[in-house]
Amino acid sequence: MSGVSQDNAVTGNRLTRALIYTVLIFFVIYYLLPLYVMVVNSLKPLDEIRGGNLMALPQNWSLQPWRDAWSAAQIGVEPTGLKPYFANSFKIVVPAVILSTIVGALNGYVLTKCRFRGANVVFALLLLSCFIPFQIVLIPAARILGLLGIAGTIKGLILIHFVYGIGFSTLFFRNYYAAFPTELIGAAQIDGATFFQIFTRILLPNSGPIIVVTVIWQFTNQWNDFLFGASFSGFDSTPMTVALNNLVNSSTGVKEYNVHFAGAILAALPTLFVYVVSGRYFVRGLMAGAVKG
Amino acid sequence: MAALTIENLKKSYGSVKVLKGIDLDIEDGGFLVLVGPSGCGKSTLLNTIAGLEEISGGDIKIGGVSVDGLHPSKRDIAMVFQSYALYPNMTVAKNISFGMEIRGLPKSEIMATINEVAALLQIEDLLGRKPSQLSGGQRQRVAMGRALVRDPQVFLFDEPLSNLDAKLRVDMRTEIKRLHQRLKTTIVYVTHDQIEALTLATKIAVLKDGCLQQAGTPDEIYNNPANMFVASFMGSPSMNLMRAKVSEEAGQFTIEITSGAATALTLPVNGIADLQAYVGKSVMFGIRPEALTDPDGSDKKHGAEIVTRAAVIEVVEPAGSDTFAVARLGGIEAVARLRADAEVEAGQTSSLAFNMTKAVFFDPETELRIR
Ligand SMILES: Nc1ncnc2c1ncn2[C@@H]1O[C@H](COP(=O)(O)OP(=O)(O)O)[C@@H](O)[C@H]1O
Ligand SMILES: [Mg+2]
Repeated sequence: MSGVSQDNAVTGNRLTRALIYTVLIFFVIYYLLPLYVMVVNSLKPLDEIRGGNLMALPQNWSLQPWRDAWSAAQIGVEPTGLKPYFANSFKIVVPAVILSTIVGALNGYVLTKCRFRGANVVFALLLLSCFIPFQIVLIPAARILGLLGIAGTIKGLILIHFVYGIGFSTLFFRNYYAAFPTELIGAAQIDGATFFQIFTRILLPNSGPIIVVTVIWQFTNQWNDFLFGASFSGFDSTPMTVALNNLVNSSTGVKEYNVHFAGAILAALPTLFVYVVSGRYFVRGLMAGAVKG
Repeated sequence: MAALTIENLKKSYGSVKVLKGIDLDIEDGGFLVLVGPSGCGKSTLLNTIAGLEEISGGDIKIGGVSVDGLHPSKRDIAMVFQSYALYPNMTVAKNISFGMEIRGLPKSEIMATINEVAALLQIEDLLGRKPSQLSGGQRQRVAMGRALVRDPQVFLFDEPLSNLDAKLRVDMRTEIKRLHQRLKTTIVYVTHDQIEALTLATKIAVLKDGCLQQAGTPDEIYNNPANMFVASFMGSPSMNLMRAKVSEEAGQFTIEITSGAATALTLPVNGIADLQAYVGKSVMFGIRPEALTDPDGSDKKHGAEIVTRAAVIEVVEPAGSDTFAVARLGGIEAVARLRADAEVEAGQTSSLAFNMTKAVFFDPETELRIR
């Protein structure tokens, strides 16, 4: 009897497993299919796409679409490829990410460890900034950039992304530091450490996970931003996303789908890279926050 | 080394009053233990001395000089925290030297001090490790090391042993006492453990709800509690407290303990003049378990007033060196401390000796001592 029931248990187990794997594999395909389509078609000559099947592998493999997308495709009026815009995006996003992360960390420190009257109100207002839709601030932001004389420049976009990023990075760091033992700050104060020494020597070295989370969050959001880029960039400060749009929508000549595919992948590469390299820490950081907070 | 004086100290968070006017002092080289139930304001008091919390009123003086408004690092104090508060990103050596580094001491001097303190605390082998690689007892030592290198006027300890297991706690307690005898630095030590308080202190301050209940030597606190709270908080098992009726006949006070239908137990009381005001009324009669013994084990020295009464023993709990017995006195439960070989059995009636010289009385309303 027991033998039979055991058998049943094992079979049942196998069945569930098979089911789980089927579902998982289905979703893997579902999510990877678009990437597959983009990759294979970016490696085909244009006539293969026109003439045939989007799902088919290339008959003549070609890197030409990638080269074109990178350095030769017509973007707006210039045949520059995406290269200069890729650089623009980096010039905008890297400083903005660094600045908003540092300021977020400082805010988190002050809001949790140097309690002052109204700290919660300040935090609530900063939080609110996370939920203000981009569209609402477009006109005031344009006005301020104009007043500062940095409209249409890289600096202007850095400022916009930096300021917009403060809300979220403050939220991240505040919650992380709220769980950070206040006794450590007390110990450092007794040891004679100043406000900034405590920040740089005690808090920051123990903030690894939350720094990673913030950097990934800010980087992907700012890299993928289109609205601010489209609204505030000038001729030589256009970011990657806007350039990609211009590439795909250019009205002159034939639509080079293979180049568009390659360009789109190029635009997505940096965020993919960031996720692959530090995704592990991202999950770990979120978990740490969840457990401690 | 310096004396510490606390004058009418007040601390509130918004409308919440945490410390309600504390007056307390400890002489140079003394060991002051702040004891009280959790949430009574012990840590807050310690943090105000350290300067980690601002005070709302009153004054704190170290060595006769007010430290009001002085930064924690300028008060010449060192603190050991309950969680140890070791910097997790630094090695043990760095943890110990961080303060000296900030003060810009020369490298050679820092190294020498680290080695000296590490030898004293026997943590030489741990200097290269991170706090996460240490056991609780080791962390505790490192935290002490960090405080020791400051060579302060006053040491502040916030429940330093509460995170250790029982055995280690007893060992470290002895070690702290030894350290104090050796360094002779003034110490303020917070604990909620009354045994720690009694064993370590030269002076104990009992706190409750932000008010000082009593301050005095361990002997005063234990044998002369000022009120019922101090009496029941200090001592383990705690003091037996029973409602009793006072009567007087020809200048002799008698108390009568009774509850429900049980036969009343009467005891003579001498030397408590203020009982006069309570004749015909109730008082709280307090007697510690060790003053309630088997007749053979009673304290026979210098005319202690021993009264023997029969009582029903309900539970017998042998504890090795002693035997504790739960007895019914006039229907009220009380714990007696008998010799280990006392012949008592649960359910039987035995003679119990009351050491009435050790008895204390409290007003049932105000809970204050009647002397
Ligand atoms: N930052 C704070 N804000 C408001 N109340 C506090 C704060 N810190 C402590 N308290 C309150 O003060 C009281 C005393 O706390 P504490 O000194 O930590 O007690 P303990 O005697 O257990 O060390 C507690 O009731 C606590 O809730
Ligand atoms: Mg405490």
